[in-house]
Formats: sequence, structure tokens, C-alpha cells
Amino acid sequence: MNPILALTWLLLLPLVASPVIYLAGRISFRLGATAAPARWLAVLALAVTGVPLWFLGEAVLAGGPVSLSVGAISLRMDGVGLVVAVTVMALTFLVSIFSIPYMRGEEGEEKYYALLVSMAATMVGLGCAHDLFNLWVWFEAMTVTSFLLVAFYREQRGALEAGVKYLVQSAVGSALVLIGIAFVFAQTGTLDLQQVAATAAQPTPPQLLAAGALFLIGFGVKTALVPLHTWLPDAHSQAPSGISAMLSGVVIEAGLVAMLRSLGCLAPAAATWGALLLGFGALNMIVGNLMALRQTQVKRLFAYSSVSHMGYMLIGFGVAVGYGIVNGAAGGFFHLLNHALMKGLAFMAAGALLYSLHVARGSHAPLTVDDLNGAGNRYPMTAFALSVAVLALGGLPPLSGFMSKWQIFVAGFETRSTGVELLVIFAAVNSVLSLAYYAPLVNRMYRHEPSAAVAAGRPVSFLMGAPLAVLTLLVVVLGFWPGLVDFITHPAAVHLVSIFSSGAALAQF
Amino acid sequence: MMSLSLPLMAAVAVLGLLGIGLLGLLVTRNLIKVVVGLQVLVKGALLALLLAGRLSGQVQTGQTLALTVIVADTIVSVVALALAVQVRRQFGTLDLQALSTLRR
Amino acid sequence: MPDISTLAILSIALPWAGAVLIWLVRDRQPQLQHALAVVFTLAGAAAALAMIPQRSEVNVLDFPLGSAFGQVTFLPDGLAVFLAVVATTIGCLAVVFSVDYMKGEKQLGRYYAYVLFFIGSMVGLVLSSNLLLIFVFWEITALCSYALISFYNDDPKAVTAGIEALIITQVGGIGLLAGALFLYAYQGNYDVPTFLAGADRLPPNVLALMAFGFLVAAAAKSAQFPFQTWLPDAMEAPTPVSALIHAATMVNAGVYLLARFYPAFEAVPNWKLAVVSVGAITALMAAVMALVSNDLKRVLAYSTVSQLGYMVYAIGAGGIFASQFHLLSHAVFKALLFLSAGAVIHAVHTRDMREMGGLGKQMPLVKVVMIIGGLALAGIPVLNGFWSKELVLEAGHEGGPLWAWLFMLVGAGLTALYTLRFLTMVFYGEPRSGQHVHDAGPAMKVALVPLALGTLTTWLLAGSFGHFLGKALPEGHDVESTGALLLQVATAPTTFVALAVVALGLAAWWQRARLAGLAHSLRGIGTMASNSFGFEAINRAVVSVTEASAESLRTTHNGVLNWNVMAILVGLVVVLAILALGGA
Repeated sequence: MNPILALTWLLLLPLVASPVIYLAGRISFRLGATAAPARWLAVLALAVTGVPLWFLGEAVLAGGPVSLSVGAISLRMDGVGLVVAVTVMALTFLVSIFSIPYMRGEEGEEKYYALLVSMAATMVGLGCAHDLFNLWVWFEAMTVTSFLLVAFYREQRGALEAGVKYLVQSAVGSALVLIGIAFVFAQTGTLDLQQVAATAAQPTPPQLLAAGALFLIGFGVKTALVPLHTWLPDAHSQAPSGISAMLSGVVIEAGLVAMLRSLGCLAPAAATWGALLLGFGALNMIVGNLMALRQTQVKRLFAYSSVSHMGYMLIGFGVAVGYGIVNGAAGGFFHLLNHALMKGLAFMAAGALLYSLHVARGSHAPLTVDDLNGAGNRYPMTAFALSVAVLALGGLPPLSGFMSKWQIFVAGFETRSTGVELLVIFAAVNSVLSLAYYAPLVNRMYRHEPSAAVAAGRPVSFLMGAPLAVLTLLVVVLGFWPGLVDFITHPAAVHLVSIFSSGAALAQF
Repeated sequence: MMSLSLPLMAAVAVLGLLGIGLLGLLVTRNLIKVVVGLQVLVKGALLALLLAGRLSGQVQTGQTLALTVIVADTIVSVVALALAVQVRRQFGTLDLQALSTLRR
Repeated sequence: MPDISTLAILSIALPWAGAVLIWLVRDRQPQLQHALAVVFTLAGAAAALAMIPQRSEVNVLDFPLGSAFGQVTFLPDGLAVFLAVVATTIGCLAVVFSVDYMKGEKQLGRYYAYVLFFIGSMVGLVLSSNLLLIFVFWEITALCSYALISFYNDDPKAVTAGIEALIITQVGGIGLLAGALFLYAYQGNYDVPTFLAGADRLPPNVLALMAFGFLVAAAAKSAQFPFQTWLPDAMEAPTPVSALIHAATMVNAGVYLLARFYPAFEAVPNWKLAVVSVGAITALMAAVMALVSNDLKRVLAYSTVSQLGYMVYAIGAGGIFASQFHLLSHAVFKALLFLSAGAVIHAVHTRDMREMGGLGKQMPLVKVVMIIGGLALAGIPVLNGFWSKELVLEAGHEGGPLWAWLFMLVGAGLTALYTLRFLTMVFYGEPRSGQHVHDAGPAMKVALVPLALGTLTTWLLAGSFGHFLGKALPEGHDVESTGALLLQVATAPTTFVALAVVALGLAAWWQRARLAGLAHSLRGIGTMASNSFGFEAINRAVVSVTEASAESLRTTHNGVLNWNVMAILVGLVVVLAILALGGA
């Protein structure tokens, strides 16, 4: 397949499929049947989208970036975009399967699948946007679809409240990004990422520094930089579990990629951006961990854990941006991918339990840590999957989370800068701290005495279990053989570092 | 003289809109007013884009951007107002203080 | 005969494969699980033993893991193969013992899966010559240890102890992590032989950081001062696990690490002194704690901490051979002591020694083997513990400061004293438990006898053990034949001093009634000892400070939208301010 054609199909297919899914579901529902066609169409659309992704991936890895311009829309699929696309499509596909039993019979089921598929498309588009404004449009489209998904249970107070907070804070963030774009546009007269970078003067004028700050904070709301993270625990814990997995696994990471892309056009000040990313990284880790430490709701705990994991990615990318170290970016991308797997697994496993213990019995109660007691006897596979997820998140080998953290740590020491080395030690201490809330979850699940909820729980269906099994396997395999994903993270890292190299070189002086 | 003072006026207007919008978001306790505040904020950003187009001599691009933003912003507002309606139904109020059950 | 790299892989993979199989069998077929566990650990032990004649002084195997992760390489030299053999054979005996001990337990699959996973990982830890892999296996053993300590998840004490062990060893592990990262940053790979061959190529300050980082990691893993608290608490684990992980194998990993990297760090200023101090302080302090505890397993745990202190001390004094020889003796006699203690506890259903007594009649075999183990621990000739402890003391006298040597001597006397104390409390006097006591099961006896025989005989291997370790020992450490070595120990003045002190310790127990006054005046130390000299209070303080700060941070998340928007603005203003001030 022609790579340009593949890129077109990759974006077009899910975007076209989305309304089709909605209509098919709606019509079937109106005809008195269920919205079942929507489910299977969504799974099918996502599976078929894998085909152009495969060809495009081959082309990008072999021959470098693939560009496509349609009118004012300019797209350029490079290594970074490929990591995003692969992660998004893989997780979305698994989430769509997971959702079949989870969302069955919910009001507006067809809307859910239509939004899920289009959200995936917007993130793929965001990954290959090659123009600041295009980047913003894709970002905004992703945000709007995710509002609707977060507030999907619109009869529930919690979901509504989370949706409102998420919407308002995101809107403030995207307004800040727009102002940043205005600064860049006024200063350089172009919005093309490469041209902006080319025209930027040395030293960076204050207008562009201000633009960078606006990008950092504007996209930072979505990326959940502390203290802009306050929407995250609400939204991630109140959304349907599949959407929680999407939000934690790819949406906040898409925000991070958008941030890196936009800062990339201000590369001459890379040393500054790197330092800021490192600072936010430290803050995210410690605040996320401390907030998670005393949580009693499982999904809220995972949400805060996402805040702290964002910190690790920020450190990886901060080292890459500020010091030009490829391992930093490779570790960051590896952790991004891994986090999608681990947190996707964690949210889906928790979701499977939430569904079996509460939702299936008509209750809207949250899944508390006490509910997990003794789950290991009744739900051996799900409990095992959840254990693997949390231990991987805690960074225990031989699970993948350890390996990606390791690569980030290695990059930190490669700078040979005492400050960064201390930051890495701080990150390691934080990893240990995170075990203080992950480990007890595992202990709870393997008690003999089941909680009341477990004792009365329903079985976990096969379609819910299958994605868990796949993700568990991936987390373990990547833990034993981290080099498996080098082929995709390494080119992305080299590309990212090359974008920032003009400024990172300054750090050497 | 017109060509010099117009950007200046626009810049002042941008700052004013942004300030009012943000201030509104900070002080109001009513969800509808929050949506209004967001609108004002985005209008400030919109004006900033137009101003940037003017300053860089690419007025038309600036206008294209602004139009796109208006569309996106409208969608966001519609969603926000729909949520507000639901909030009023479920919580019986639009007060932000009541809308803080998720905390800690 | 498979070649050495295949054997190395097999000795890791066989137990792991067994773990997976047992987990897949699930808990409906406990007999099959027992059988699988025994078969796969036996096979693992066979693979490890088969490595003995094929030892290699160079890396075998070379499998790339990925850009920042180096190569999978193994270095099956004498030191590594020795420890692999210890891990697999004692692992095998512990599993055999478990057949009786864990009979009828729920979640047996989880138990065996973790035990076998541990055995394979321990072999991996000692065989690896890639520092990243060493760290990986190091952490896997910690994971298994945590999971097995808190095996009885319904007991909050067990859960707390497991998490405590995990967190303390992980905090210490950061030292090893930093060391591995430094190695990659300055050497460009993780290869240990390359590092050992030319450690002086690294900048001295980096080398010093690595050296002390490794010491911290080793101290945490081997439960040395100031990290010792986790090991006694780890006694909540099922007893075969205590014997295997917390006496014979995992806790030795720290000692192994120090011994392996001794040639690289020897020249780092003050490093050896620090190692000696850690060992000496631990050995004495833990011996005092062992003297006052009434919990049989805790006494043994303190004694393990104390004996590990002897090994660490010996390394600091340059006596690598002595430390490894003591490691061998200790692994055998301490596994024996723990397993026989397990048989006792299984019989009387309590760990409190005040409720035991007079058990010798009902369990004659257990009594005999436990006394053999106890005498070896006390350092009575001609058991293996005597020879190795004397070697340690001799090495310390030659290479360490005098104060530390005196510490160790006092420790030796106390060891004799507390050994007699617990043996008497368990087996002599009037029976204090009213319950019916049943003798150890057949599988238990099968596991105990080889260990007892080992305790009686491993010292005969001294000479060949020295040759076996070969180049793993630092230069100038050529070891003579067994006869010469034993003669040297038997005639050394330090031996007689030590024996006198041990005899003093024994006499003190004999005359304990007359020494009541002295004991009374030392009650303060006893109270401090039973409070772990305040270290548990420190742990508690750290936990409560962390929890308090988490709680106060939570109150700042008030969930009001206005404040959330405010936080965004504050973030923006702070970033702008940093940019303005930074003037980048």
C-alpha cells in the first residue's frame, strides 16, 4: 500500500466509521432490537484500521516521515506520531472489546462506540499534525469527544461533576494554547512546526518564551502537570472503566505529545524547557504518590498513580529535551507505551471487578479497596491481571514498568549532572513509595476471607477477560525482553532529540 | 495613525477580555456564569489570533484560524450548557460549592 | 552432558517452569502441586550441581536485551556456582519439608509458585554478570520474599511485615540501582568482569559512590545495621520460607554482592572500615536481641542477622574466603535450625518458647538434629560453624581494627549463651503446653537429615572449597589444602581466645541463677534490646510522617472548580516568573 494512501485511510476510516456506527446502532435500537451492531462495527472498524497502520508503520520505519497535505491541513507521520498511533489503536481496540459486556444495554451505547472510535482517530491525527493550529484542532476534537465520554453516565452526579470540571479546566487550557499560538504567529508569521523552528532567533525573544510557557501550561492541563491535575482524579474515576483506561492510557499522553511538539518549534530554548519538564516531573511524582497513598477508591487511586507516572515520562523527556540524550526520549516513549498497557490493564481489571461486584447488580457504588478482599479466590484471572498491573506500575521486575523506568533512569545518569542524578534517585524513592499503596492491593486480593461484595459478585465474562489476558501477557513479555519495542521507540526518540538538538547543544556549553 | 493604534487597541482588548474571563472563572459560583467566563476568555484568544494575523501581515490566515476556533468553541459551549442542564436536574442547583463532592 | 550455558539457563528456567506449571494446575490438585514442586526443584538442583565441573572464568551466553539494557550474560565461576548450588539444594530440601508442613493449606499454588520463582531468581542473581540483570534478579527475590512473608494475607501482622521487608530492601536497593546506572554512564555497558578488571578507570568519586551505594544495598538485603528490623518481622512467613529465603539464600545476596565487588572497591578510602563497622555493630547488637526474645523464630532470625554480620565483617577485613566459608556453614546449619524449629512449631502450634519445653521425648529426631545445628551455631568444635567462625575471627584479627574484633568475640560468647537458652527452653524442663504433640512427618525428616549430616561434615571440604572459588577470590588468597587449613585454625591463638569466650558463654548459662544479680543490672540493655534499640520506632516515625503529609496534602484538594482554575493560573504565573528570572 502506498504510504500516503495508508495515512489517509488510517485517519479517514475511523472518522467515517464513527457516524456509521452511531446510525447503525441507533436504527437497530429504534427497530426494537439492541444497539449490538454498533459494538461489532466499532470493533471491526478498529481492527481494519490496523491494516493501514501496519503499512504506514513499515513505510515510516523504513523510509522516514510520510507527509500529506489536504488544503490547510498538513500532516506528517514521523516516528513520534507512529508511537502515538500504535499505542492508541492497540489500546482502543482492546477497550472496544472490553466494553462490549461492560456497556451492554446502557442508554446511548451507540454514542459511546461512535465517540470512542472518533476519539482514537483524533489522537492519531494529533500525533501527526505538522502545524501548530492543526495540532490545536486535533487536540480540541479529542478533548470534546472525551468530555462526552467522561460524562457518559449523565444521570449520575459524580460523572456530571467530573465532566464539568474536566470541561472547564480543559477549555481554559486550550484558550491558553491559542494565545500561545497567537504569540508564535505574530512573531514568526508561520505556524508550520519546522518553519517556526527555523525562523526562531537566538536568543529566543520573550514573546516566544511566553508562548512556550502558554503551551506548557495549556497542554499541561491535559497532561496533568501538578498543580493543573485536579480534574484528572475526578474524570478518571467517574468515567466508564474503558474510558478511564483510555484517559489514563493515551489521552493524557496525547496531551504530552502535543506539548512536546509545540515546544519543539521553540527548540532554541530547549535547555529551559528541559529544566521545566524535569521540575514538573519531580512535582508530579511526589504529589501523585502522596495523594494516592491514602485513597480508598480503587479507580481514584489509579488516577493519582497516573499523575505520578506522568512524572516519570516528564523526566525522560526532560532529559531528552534539555540534554539531548536519546535514551531519555526512548525511555519516555517506552514508558508512554508501557503506561498505556499497565494502566489500561489496571483500569480494565478494576473495571471488570467493578462491573461484576456492583454494576451487574444494579449498584452505582464505587469499587473500594475493601471490596477487593479475597477476590483472588473467586476471580483468579482478574485478580492476577490486577496484581500484575499494580506490581508493574510499582516498578517491580520482571514486569515492563521496571524496564521503562530503568531506561529513563539510565538517561538521567548519562547526563553526568549531579542535579539530574539526584532527581533520578528521588524518582527511585518515589517508586518505592508507590509500592506502599500498590502492594496492599495485592495482599487484599489474596486473603482467604472474601468481602461481602466478592461473595455476592457475578462472574467475569469472556470478552472482558480476553483483553486483560492480552495486556497481562504483554506486560510480562516486555518485562523479560524490553528490546522488543526498541524498533519503534528508538526512531521516535532520535527524531524528537533531533528536533530539540539546536537548543540542547547549548546545554553542553 | 490608524494603522498604529488599531493593534494597540486590539492588544488592550485582548488583555481585557482575558482578564475578565479569568476573573469570572475565579470568582463566580454559578455554573452558567462559568460558561460565560469561558466564552469571554476564548473571545480574547480569538482576538489575539486576529491581531497576530494582522501583525505578521497575514490577515487572511488569521481570519481562517479565528473561524475555526469559533466553530470549536461553539461545540464546547453547547456541551457545557448541556452538562449545566443536567447538573441543574441532578443536583438541583448550579452552585459550584455544591459541585464539589469529588475531593481529596 | 549439556554445556555450561545451557546448564545455567536450565538451573534458572527449570524452577521457573515449575512455578508456572504449579500455578496453572490451580489449587484443586494439591498432591500434583507437591509433586511438581519437588520434581522441578530437584531438576534445578541437578542442573546447578552439573555446573560444578564446567565452571568458567569468562562470560557465557550473549543475548541482546535492547539499547539501554545490555546483554544477557552469565559468569558461572566458582563463587557463582557455589551459591547457585546452595540455593537450589537447600531450596529443594525446603520444598520437600513443605510437603508435610504445608499440607492442607489453602492457596498452595501461590506458595509453591513463589518459592520456585524465588529459587530460579536466586540462581539468576548469582550467575548474572550484567549489573542490570543482577539488579533485576535482586528485585525479583525481594518480590518473592514480600509475597511469601505476607502469604497469610488475612493476618495484618504478616501483611505489614511483608510490605516492610519489601520497602526496606527496595530503599537499600536504590544504592545498587545508582551503582548500575553509574556503571552504564561511565563504562557504557553493564558488564561486571570488565568493571572488576579495571575499576580504576572510573573517576574516584564515582567509584566511591558506587562502593557505598553497594554497601547500603547489601546492608538492606542482608538485614545489617541500620536496616535490620525487617528480618525478624519477616518471621511471619511459613517456616520453610524462613529457612530458605531468610536464612540460607536471599539474605546472603548482600554478602555475595560485597564479596563479588570487593576487588573493585578495596581501594576506596574508608570503604573497608565502613564494611567492618556495619558487620561488627550488627553482629553484637543482634546477638543481644536474640538473648531476650521469647519467640523461637525471632531468636533464630536475630541469630541470622548476627551471623550475617560475621560474614560482612570478614569481607571488610579482607577475608573473602572466610566469609564465603562461613556463608556455606551458616546456610547449612541455619536451614537445619529453621526447619527443625518449623517441625517444633508445626507440632505445638505456637512460636512462644515459654509454652514449649520437654519436647525432646516426643520428637527425638528433631531434638538431635536441632542440637547439632545449635552447637554449630555456638561454634563448638568440630562442627562446621566452629571452623568457619574461627576463620572469620582470624581474618578479622589480621585485617580489621581491634575494637571490631573484640565486638565479634563478645558476640561469639553471646551466641553460645542464647543458643543454650533456646535449646533448653524448647527441649528440656517440664512440658508446658497441654496440647497433644505429634512428631515430625516423614517428608520433614527426609529434609532434616541431609542438613544435619552437612552440618557435621562440610568443614572437611575447606580446602577444595578454596580451590573451587579460585579466581573469584582476590589475588593473594591462595588457599591451602584442607589439612593445612584446619591445622592453621586449630593452632591459631585467636582460636583459643574465641573458644575461651564461647566456654564463658556456656558457663554463664550454666550459672545463670548465680548471675541473676548481674542480669538484673543489665536489664536496661535487655529492655532496649527487646525494643530493637529504637529502630522500629524510627520506622514507625517515617511511616507516620509520610501518612500525615499525605493527609495534609489531600486537604488542599477541595474539589471546588474556582480553586482548580486558580491552580492553573498559579502554574502559569510561576512558569512565566521562572522564565523571566532565568532570562534564558
